[in-house]
Amino acid sequence: MAASLSSSPCAMMLVRNVTLLFGMGNHAARIRVGKGDRGVTYEQALHPHHIGHRKGWLSQHPCNLKGEEGAADRALEDVFIRRFMFGTFHGCLANEVVIKRRGNLLIVCALMLQKLPPQKFYFLTGYTESLLSHFYKCPVKLEIQTLQKQAVYKYL
Amino acid sequence: MSSTGRGVTSPLCFSSDPNSAPCPALNKYGGAREVHSDRLCNGKDFLRNSTFGFEKFERLSWSQIITNTTITVTDEPDTLFQKVSVLVKGHDRSVLDSYEFFATMAAKELGITLGNVFEPPKDVLRLTLLKSIHIFKKHRVQYEMRTHYRCLELFRLTGSTAQVYLEYIQRNLPEGVAMEVSKIAVAKVPEHILQPMWEEPTADNAPSPTADLKG
Repeated sequence: MAASLSSSPCAMMLVRNVTLLFGMGNHAARIRVGKGDRGVTYEQALHPHHIGHRKGWLSQHPCNLKGEEGAADRALEDVFIRRFMFGTFHGCLANEVVIKRRGNLLIVCALMLQKLPPQKFYFLTGYTESLLSHFYKCPVKLEIQTLQKQAVYKYL
Repeated sequence: MSSTGRGVTSPLCFSSDPNSAPCPALNKYGGAREVHSDRLCNGKDFLRNSTFGFEKFERLSWSQIITNTTITVTDEPDTLFQKVSVLVKGHDRSVLDSYEFFATMAAKELGITLGNVFEPPKDVLRLTLLKSIHIFKKHRVQYEMRTHYRCLELFRLTGSTAQVYLEYIQRNLPEGVAMEVSKIAVAKVPEHILQPMWEEPTADNAPSPTADLKG
């Protein structure tokens, strides 16, 4: 896959710092470095190999541990909850939704921007909690924290 | 807002119904009302009352909670445990570190003799997948899931102590952490096997059952 270097010294100098092929290198969950005008959150700035070292987990449940069951069901629930949150609080989500499970209790933590008046936030939280608890037959708690503007970690 | 799971959040879950099961957090919808003692997620609570679906539960004061818990006294003897072994599993070692600190402190406060508190070696599940959707068989991607363990051993407990301690420990289990408890109970030897059969004098004067074997 890599291009072969010719034996002459001048040719070797030429190919030293050039990306040889398009799409080489990892692209998973990474925002590529750009002009420096795009603000990026801590979650987006760190790459997936930093999970467990500099980054935490977005979804915390015991089902992926050795000897525990129900991983697929939880994964499906998580996907639904993230899409639901994205749709209900449209345009307000500042960062990824964090989902925690303690026993039967489902806790959804989200950072929001103050785009809606507080009364609408109150209504939407109550709506989300009652609807999700009816779907999943377990108590659902929503923990929301709002910000004036996006929490930027660095500009890429 | 991703947290690295540092520290143990400990909301103690109580239900307003005094006749409910001991772990209301594990009941179905409508069973729990949280009393928040320590919240690590929210620095500044924008919304004070975030639960709207549970109108039937009022805010309980501490005195109400204390009088609502049931304490039963029975005449049957308490089960005795020689050893209670608590194995905690998690993805994050720092979470298990803080949980171990919490559990050992709780055991010391309750006067339970702690035995060995050790860390069994971690288990890693690795999956190797193809990096590209089409061809490029030589380029793969590896994912792994690490399970860290921590084991606490408690010796010589009574059944009620074990029940209280385990309930306290389990209510404060952090999210993403699983627990396995194994107990070794001590029971009285049944009377009919206390003495060996060949030493017992038989009721009628029949020859003892092992006479044929000896001869």
